[in-house]
Amino acid sequence: MELVVSSLLKIAFLLTVILGLVPVLIWAERKGSAFIQDRTGPNRASVLGIRLGGLVHPIADVMKLLFKEDFRPENAHRFLYALAPFLVFFIALLTYAVIPFGDFIRIGGVEYQLVVADLNVGILYVLAIASLGTYGVVMGGWASNNKYAFLGAVRSTSQMISYEISMGLSIIGLMLIFSSLRLTDIVAGQGGAIWNWGFAMQPLGAILFIVAVFAETNRNPFDLPEGESELVSGYHLEYSSMKFALFFMAEYTNMVIGAALITTLFFGGWNIPWLTRSVIEGHAGTILPVHLVIQAVVMGLISLLFFRRAARERDKFGDARDREPGFMGVVTALMALGAAGSFALKPWAIGVDAASIYATLLQVGAFVGKVVFFCWVFIWVRWTLPRFRYDQLMGLGWKVMLPLALANVVLTAIWLAIV
Amino acid sequence: MESILFYLFAVLMLGSAVMTVTSRSAVAAAVWLVFCFVNAAGVFALLSAPFLAILQILIYAGAIMVLFLFVIMMLQGPVLPDERERRPWSRIAVLVLPPASAAVILIAWLARGGVTAFSGAQPAVRGTAEAVAELLLNRYLLAFELISVVLLVAIVGAMALGRRKEELPWK
Repeated sequence: MELVVSSLLKIAFLLTVILGLVPVLIWAERKGSAFIQDRTGPNRASVLGIRLGGLVHPIADVMKLLFKEDFRPENAHRFLYALAPFLVFFIALLTYAVIPFGDFIRIGGVEYQLVVADLNVGILYVLAIASLGTYGVVMGGWASNNKYAFLGAVRSTSQMISYEISMGLSIIGLMLIFSSLRLTDIVAGQGGAIWNWGFAMQPLGAILFIVAVFAETNRNPFDLPEGESELVSGYHLEYSSMKFALFFMAEYTNMVIGAALITTLFFGGWNIPWLTRSVIEGHAGTILPVHLVIQAVVMGLISLLFFRRAARERDKFGDARDREPGFMGVVTALMALGAAGSFALKPWAIGVDAASIYATLLQVGAFVGKVVFFCWVFIWVRWTLPRFRYDQLMGLGWKVMLPLALANVVLTAIWLAIV
Repeated sequence: MESILFYLFAVLMLGSAVMTVTSRSAVAAAVWLVFCFVNAAGVFALLSAPFLAILQILIYAGAIMVLFLFVIMMLQGPVLPDERERRPWSRIAVLVLPPASAAVILIAWLARGGVTAFSGAQPAVRGTAEAVAELLLNRYLLAFELISVVLLVAIVGAMALGRRKEELPWK
């Protein structure tokens, strides 16, 4: 019973983080692309004049998608057409079960591991589920009975087969070094100094894996199944309303999971370099006050910037939008005050139990921070690189990545045999 | 619990296998076969062979069937006319199958005291990655390597047969 409750709580936490990240990522994609292309980006939707720099736009999007007509093409395969978007989203969410987002949390003397299912074949589970992800795309593209959607589906299958092999081979070196398939072992093995992280021990494997993840998540420069300049919008061409929204959300969910995998396997997972759990717990009396001071100062400076802008642009628009910088200033000032005010609770005299929970929170924060960073890398790459041509895609997969991944496996094995 | 899951997976596996053979559409048959493999993986997992279960999904459902679908779609193209219409018995199947599987599970649950064949058949940890590696790379190493060579020969042979004659290196 306790297992069920703790598992449900962990699943709820993961779902909140992931589904909460999706609209933020859509916003980051729009604002990021605008920044890279020297535009303003979305800035029209507002709630009482508060636009939050375009962050209100996803709400408007959701309203639009909910009330649109759910259209089905006349000659589509009914069942598979309806099933595809659900399958894509379902499979995108499945992988999170094995990704550790912290080591453990100790509540009332009981340690709960912060991973939903600690499988002893964790890495293989991830690869297996990732390989199923293409079925939704294929079914959607084929069942739409549209030649462009169909071409998107065909491209998706061949791309998946080509890059899955390099993806699997690129992490064999990592498995050899940590001699485990369990993701919690791999993360625990990357503790301590930063050169214990996977990318320092397996630089080639890390690069190959990141490229393969880009290809498996169908993100630019590998988004040929979508290829809007050639295939209109590829496999989800015929979808509208919430079915389209599911495809759209699945793309961003896949992005979060790709980022989480890169973090877990090659960038230390929840580890903070040098600040291991024993260090944090032992020096919580100094680390926590320093942390609070930094937070108070940074948030205070941000709120000062907002207030200065509010004073300078008091009559810029002559409507509700003028209140926006002031509103943001109040919010950030409250955050700074909260950090400063918590000194009243004597953070330097933190207890043992609280120090343990604080260490867990720092680790979870480190994990989420790294995941957000790699999500930004996905967006960054998308708006920086052009799309591959199809023969270039196949050439890269089979003639460059596969031999390199094999060489990486052989070199790692030889190195491990000598050392 | 295990026996309920076993009967659930078994019913779904056999049902989707039947659907694979009876589907008129080749793509639908392939999708049913994938579902069948996923349920077979569930049975493996219940037999405390997690490694086999994952490999079943990774290789059969994830790689081979994707290749099958690719070939089917390349040869057939988009949805054929007779795949579009709903056949009369599909609605009956939707009505009958869930209660039927529920009934099987219920019977299994009621007879759980009497069913010993499955719950007693838990092998000592045997399907893990370590155990499989021990068998393949120590005990049966020679056979394993010979099979690899046979597969390599088959791959080279397929490549040679697939090429046009004038492209062959010895021509």
